Amino acid sequence: MRTRDIVIRAGRSLKQAKARTLLTSLAIAVGAFTITLSLAAGSGGRAYTDQIVSANTNVNELSVTKAPPKNQKGPQKYSTSIASTSTALFSGELLTQNDINSIKKIDGVVAVSPNYNPQIRYITRDGQDKYIASISTFSPSVTLKYAAGLTNGDLNIDEIILTEEYVTALGFKNNNDAIGKTVNIVADKLAAPVSAQESKTFIYKVKAISSKSGLAFRSQSSLLISNDSAKALYDYINIDTRNYQNFAVASVTATSAAKAKTVKDVLVSRGYLAQTAADILGVVNTFINVLQGILLGFGALAILTSIFGIINTQYISVLERTQQIGLMKALGMRRRDVGRLFKLEAAWIGFLGGAIGSGLAFIAGNIANPFISKALDIGDIRLLIFDPFSIAIVVVGLVIVSVVSGILPARKAAKLNPIEALRTE
Amino acid sequence: MIEVKNVTKIYGKKDNKFKALDDVSFTIPIGASVAILGKSGSGKSTLMHIMSGLDKPESGEINIGGRNILALSQKQIDKFRSRSMSFIFQSFFVQAKESCYDNVSLPLEIADVSSSRRRKLIDEALIAVELLDKKKSRARDLSGGQKQRLAVARAIVNSPKILFADEPTGNLDSITGAVIENLLFEYNKKNRVTLVVVTHDPDLAKRCDMQILIKDGKIAKILGAKS
Repeated sequence: MRTRDIVIRAGRSLKQAKARTLLTSLAIAVGAFTITLSLAAGSGGRAYTDQIVSANTNVNELSVTKAPPKNQKGPQKYSTSIASTSTALFSGELLTQNDINSIKKIDGVVAVSPNYNPQIRYITRDGQDKYIASISTFSPSVTLKYAAGLTNGDLNIDEIILTEEYVTALGFKNNNDAIGKTVNIVADKLAAPVSAQESKTFIYKVKAISSKSGLAFRSQSSLLISNDSAKALYDYINIDTRNYQNFAVASVTATSAAKAKTVKDVLVSRGYLAQTAADILGVVNTFINVLQGILLGFGALAILTSIFGIINTQYISVLERTQQIGLMKALGMRRRDVGRLFKLEAAWIGFLGGAIGSGLAFIAGNIANPFISKALDIGDIRLLIFDPFSIAIVVVGLVIVSVVSGILPARKAAKLNPIEALRTE
Repeated sequence: MIEVKNVTKIYGKKDNKFKALDDVSFTIPIGASVAILGKSGSGKSTLMHIMSGLDKPESGEINIGGRNILALSQKQIDKFRSRSMSFIFQSFFVQAKESCYDNVSLPLEIADVSSSRRRKLIDEALIAVELLDKKKSRARDLSGGQKQRLAVARAIVNSPKILFADEPTGNLDSITGAVIENLLFEYNKKNRVTLVVVTHDPDLAKRCDMQILIKDGKIAKILGAKS
């Protein structure tokens, strides 16, 4: 018997038992729904972290800190020979100028720049209120979203990128109005005695306004200046203090992403902790993969349950159609073809369940996407990404699973004795 | 020529042994109509099953066209049955939920006939039993007589060489039964197809060229045999 004819006959038999077919395939649909959604969440999550990391880090860059001594248990012993700090956020050894100089000499390193993070007093503008602000260094390789203005390569030493919040706070009419205007940053010299405080006003021209982005990693309110002007600010604030020119973190730029990996190995062997962009991505992705694995597990459990549903349905179907099977065998239908007929019926059930489940998941996901993005406040980024290829894999996989679970009932049908089957008088 | 030679069929094991057929032998010429007559339990249905290769006897041969079909492999027997034999049953065995067309199509699909040729053959078979107007109707919407006519269409669609009919009129009233009988005998005469009717109805048996009377698994009498 031709496969095409068997497929059609299988489909027709299922159509004749619509309710039963639908209910059996709905059990599979639950599994398909869960699996499709978890695959979508996984690929969406990975794409999202990928975007975050590439928007906030440079693939050639490593973030370097001093590693704690090996085999250390409990707090680290104090030593005057090493620079250290201990705050609520960071506790441990600091990178000294010597460290930075030696890192610079490693093969493949283009530049080493300490993270200055100057602690300013406030930012203001003529005739406006004063506001506290955090300052970070601008990196040309990190993608920013601009509400107004643009950067062309690095910033000049007197340029600054404001956030939208500061535009209104500092009394500009709108984002475009702020471009080219100046703002004042006032910093204190920390080493100056309280009785004779020293402070200085640094003037910056607004180059661009960064808009809030779902991808931003660092503090949303950070204002960005060039590395050189961050150094100038840092020097003014910290000169003559104990930890001047000691840094918790430094960014090391390698010649390429591949080189970053070898530089990392050298740094680790010399007692530093180094993280590449890929490392950060890897950590976040492991987390996503574990979550996805759990969801997939639930889906697989639902599929496992539905397998018994298929076996049961097909067994009943064989019993109900004993006479039909007997007739087909009497007319010369081969055992193998009878078996194939029932396996193909199971395949249809699997296909139907897979199509219904992943179809519903697709619809539900696309309805839910805007709500999820809104709830997590990540702008127009979609957290559920449906890949047609993986949906196809899910459906094909379920068809195979169904065929396998249809084997036992199909074998029963194939083995049926036609004489017994036709002796129903 | 169909030659049944020393066929013995035993059911059950050891103490429950029961000889359904005991050394049965006879010969049927090609194109003849033959009645296998006997009471229920006489072994006449078993004989039909063995003659069609559906059942295997403990000993004996069934030679059809010079070939012993009992010596064939399962695959070969299935192929032989799909090409050369067909059946009509007392309780019709038409698929109630399928259309008349699909019911008649089944033996052609099993015999690997192409779908374009199928269409032509099915139409011809439905015309022969005067059911062409019911082509698209479901079989369950037919009357008893129509169902058996549909079964006849299904039996003749692939131009079999041997047509087995197991109590073909047993479930029908005398008028519709006569219609079916006429259809079968007309087909038998017109196409020189061997017709084997299993029945307990002597009137039906009398219409056949040859009557084989079975009693307790043995041949009691053969009438009309040409030797």
